Amino acid sequence: MLDTFEILTTSGVVLWSRTYAHVSPSVVNNFIADVFIEEKSSVVGAKDGASAAVNPPYKYDQHTLRWTFEKELGIIFVAVYRSLLHLSWIDKLVDHIKTIFVKLYGDQLKKPNTTIVECLKFDEYFDQQLHELEQTGGKPDRSEVRALEDDADLEIPGEKSPAPPSLIQRSRPHDTLDSSPVATPSASRPSTPGVNHLVVAKAGPVAKMSRRARKGHNTNSGLVSSGDEGSAKKSKAKAAKRGRKWDADGFADEDDDVQLDYSAPNAITSDSEAEAAGRLGAVEEVDASTWGSNTKGKFVLRDLGEEVHSILASADAKNSIEKFDSPAGLVGSSLSAISGLFRNVVGGKVLTKEDLDKAMKGMEEHLLKKNVAREAAVRLCEGVEKELIGVKTGNFESIDARIRKAMEASLTKMLTPTSSLDLLREIDSITAPPATSLRKARPYVMSIVGVNGVGKSTNLSKICFFLLQNKYKVLIAAGDTFRSGAVEQLAVHVRNLKELTAREGGKVELYQKGYGKDAATVAKDAVAFAAQEGFDVVLIDTAGRRHNDQRLMSSLEKFAKFAQPDKILMVGEALVGTDSVAQARNFNAAFGTGRSLDGFIISKCDTVGDMVGTLVSIVHATSVPVLFVGVGQHYSDLRNFSVKWGVEKLLSSN
Amino acid sequence: MAALDTLKAFFEASLKPSPVVFAIGFAFVLFFPVLLHILVTQKSTYTTLPSVLLVGPSGAGKTALLTLLERGPLSAPAGEKPSLTGPASPAPTHTSQAPAAVELAVSTDGTSSFRDDLDATGATAKRFLLIDTPGHAKLRRLALSHLSPAKPSTSPTSSYSATPKSRLKGLVFVLDAAALADGDALPATAAYLYDVLLALQKRASGAKGSKPPPAIPVLIAANKLDLFTALPAALVKSNLEAELGRIRKTRSRGLLDSGVGADDDVAGIEEGDDWLGEYGSDKFSFKQMLEFDIEVEVVGGSVLGDGPGADRWWKWIGQRA
Ligand SMILES: Nc1nc2c(ncn2[C@@H]2O[C@H](COP(=O)(O)OP(=O)(O)OP(=O)(O)O)[C@@H](O)[C@H]2O)c(=O)[nH]1
Ligand SMILES: [Mg+2]
Repeated sequence: MLDTFEILTTSGVVLWSRTYAHVSPSVVNNFIADVFIEEKSSVVGAKDGASAAVNPPYKYDQHTLRWTFEKELGIIFVAVYRSLLHLSWIDKLVDHIKTIFVKLYGDQLKKPNTTIVECLKFDEYFDQQLHELEQTGGKPDRSEVRALEDDADLEIPGEKSPAPPSLIQRSRPHDTLDSSPVATPSASRPSTPGVNHLVVAKAGPVAKMSRRARKGHNTNSGLVSSGDEGSAKKSKAKAAKRGRKWDADGFADEDDDVQLDYSAPNAITSDSEAEAAGRLGAVEEVDASTWGSNTKGKFVLRDLGEEVHSILASADAKNSIEKFDSPAGLVGSSLSAISGLFRNVVGGKVLTKEDLDKAMKGMEEHLLKKNVAREAAVRLCEGVEKELIGVKTGNFESIDARIRKAMEASLTKMLTPTSSLDLLREIDSITAPPATSLRKARPYVMSIVGVNGVGKSTNLSKICFFLLQNKYKVLIAAGDTFRSGAVEQLAVHVRNLKELTAREGGKVELYQKGYGKDAATVAKDAVAFAAQEGFDVVLIDTAGRRHNDQRLMSSLEKFAKFAQPDKILMVGEALVGTDSVAQARNFNAAFGTGRSLDGFIISKCDTVGDMVGTLVSIVHATSVPVLFVGVGQHYSDLRNFSVKWGVEKLLSSN
Repeated sequence: MAALDTLKAFFEASLKPSPVVFAIGFAFVLFFPVLLHILVTQKSTYTTLPSVLLVGPSGAGKTALLTLLERGPLSAPAGEKPSLTGPASPAPTHTSQAPAAVELAVSTDGTSSFRDDLDATGATAKRFLLIDTPGHAKLRRLALSHLSPAKPSTSPTSSYSATPKSRLKGLVFVLDAAALADGDALPATAAYLYDVLLALQKRASGAKGSKPPPAIPVLIAANKLDLFTALPAALVKSNLEAELGRIRKTRSRGLLDSGVGADDDVAGIEEGDDWLGEYGSDKFSFKQMLEFDIEVEVVGGSVLGDGPGADRWWKWIGQRA
């Protein structure tokens, strides 16, 4: 069963909710933070109103969340249930609720400067939908059967001959689903629209079967399963089932499907045919909704059901008409083109995908030129484009300016860390914990990892120099027990640092055990030694390793376990090209579950000018923030990474 | 292709000296400024209201407070049947991603309770906007942009765009006094407060020569005092002051930001530019902010439960708005 269903705005106000079992608010809060704010790459979904079936379910603390987002109004619809359960109808519920809610309260939601939406009555609508879908969820309902049947009638004349391969495809999911109604939705439902169309398109023989089946069982044909509903529905965000208004909406449904069949990129039909089908569908749907009143009647919430169904049907109709309506006539199109140009100058233009496409290409090129990895550039641009479709440009604002602004915002959001780092403050709180806390004073441990030759030791020395200037006692541990000369190199650094900071009052020592020892053990001993001798900070150097070197990478996990560093920083070069993403990913994953990188140091930033794209690429790949940037050869050439500076460089045009 | 042709024909026709073209041209010249004016002004209708900004870390209760104050009048209509509906209650909330503004009213003397329905009592009312901002670290820019003297950047994600020239009358920093009791929340909360106060300070001192922008008073609202683990307001204040002092010290010793000093704005970095309060002073106290005309007050309260309630905050807000 459902635990809770919530309708909330992007500003955080819950407009309506229904709770069946208490769910900690942190579940939804984490969902919002991960999916919408931090946009973690593992969990993102479409934020442009895609159906709940397309958005990947979000899992947290034994709960699964299915959700959809209404972009224009900024409303999130989310259903929470126990991950153990298997509710095949849930994504449909979420979609239907969205359609109904937006239809009923859309006007109220557009009012400015208020968060109040009077929607007490929504309870009944919700109950109706829940009841309906729960009942029919695992079983077929007649509208589906009808839909398929008519699918067949319409399909067969046109598509009989070219169909064989798809027929096989079509019947397979059916059979499997029929025999095992509880299939994982994600597994049994293909997720790309194209595939969906195909699946739906092969209605022919199966529909016949189901008609036969229906004749057999009449009320309860077991043949068409929920999985089928899933696919039919998926083909069209809110298509598919309307439960009780069977025949009527059955028509509407199946017409939808037919249209989609044609629209699928299978080149069987020409465009004009598709359009004709679309028109036909629309007309019939209208008819269908008027018939509805005669055919249903066994349901308690009858009137409501009727209203709900007509809302869903009209939403479908609108969808399909929108999809198939060609832009207005010639005069219309040139007029709108002119006014579009005009509005592009004056502003106040509502952006469409066509407007954006070209400009976004330009932005993508720009980012690539700045050395941003293609993967990251594409996703950034996609995000911005989705965000901007349907948005009105400001007064005297061109599309390019608007895109720039949106890109600036999303770069800033991406690069800003979720918690800011005040290194000195953090060290203080570890080495001299407040009296009220129960923690014991201990040295602060920081370690540095990275591939060979990126400047691990150099950056470690820079950090050390900074700490010494602030009068900390620092122990440098030579954790590179592998490459010959590494220890000596560190010794030179330590000698220099001692000389440089003799007057400042800091103290620095080198802890080394020569070569060949296990690095993790050396690190552990160093930390123990530092605690004994009263050092404030331990900086651990590690051996450089290629990120695809299995053996060396796996030793990092043991290292993290032994040394228990407060911070693990990875040094990356501003210069690296496409490899940077893979490096960052592999290192981030190398410390085992429950531990990841805490931040990046980007070295050699002074050598790349404006081409600072690497830092976008790696933050994009890992969601780990950049903390420091190296800007030169001297010990003092280390800087806090300023997000504003980075974004300015990325967007500067030269 | 066909579209191009029509366009071409259209273009050619428009160049011929026919009376139609003259008429259209004339009409265009005549109405263009009017249209433009309408376009430009239609958006700025809400910007003239005075406003009060809610900021603070995530989970502090900003949105809860906002909804409480907004729903206040609904709970006890016209004071006639008091508390039939019980005390006003806030809407349930989750993490915010976008700012929200709510139009509220307070009687002109600033003393009406937020539960009074001013429309019903017929008292003259001042209207103002209360603006809630997201507290998530990645989204704080939205809140801080209200405070910079330069134009605030609008949020692209929200349909509500930050009111550009909103007349900011006060700032409420909401914090979770119960979370403050254990270690980690204090530095994080104080760090945000530091940024907010520093932005205000820069705003006040930044406008050299020209007359400084009107001062923005700050209310630190120690929320959730209904929970028994919560620190009382006085303790919240002293803890914050101590922590702000510590932050101030470490920031002054910290690394430079990338970009600073690299370019032409070398002259821009002055000693003490990022120092909050009285420069060089040993301990930080909120009194030091008075030097910049920034009044800071710490007041406890609660949005939920039967704690001290939100009336004192409302009073503060009502008086500033
Ligand atoms: N016990 C108690 N809980 C409260 C109080 N005020 C708010 N809360 C709870 O604190 C949680 C967070 O409140 P929100 O208003 O959403 O927090 P916010 O400050 O808007 O957070 P962001 O939107 O993430 O910046 C909610 O679950 C509230 O119910 C209070 O006075 N007492
Ligand atoms: Mg909020």
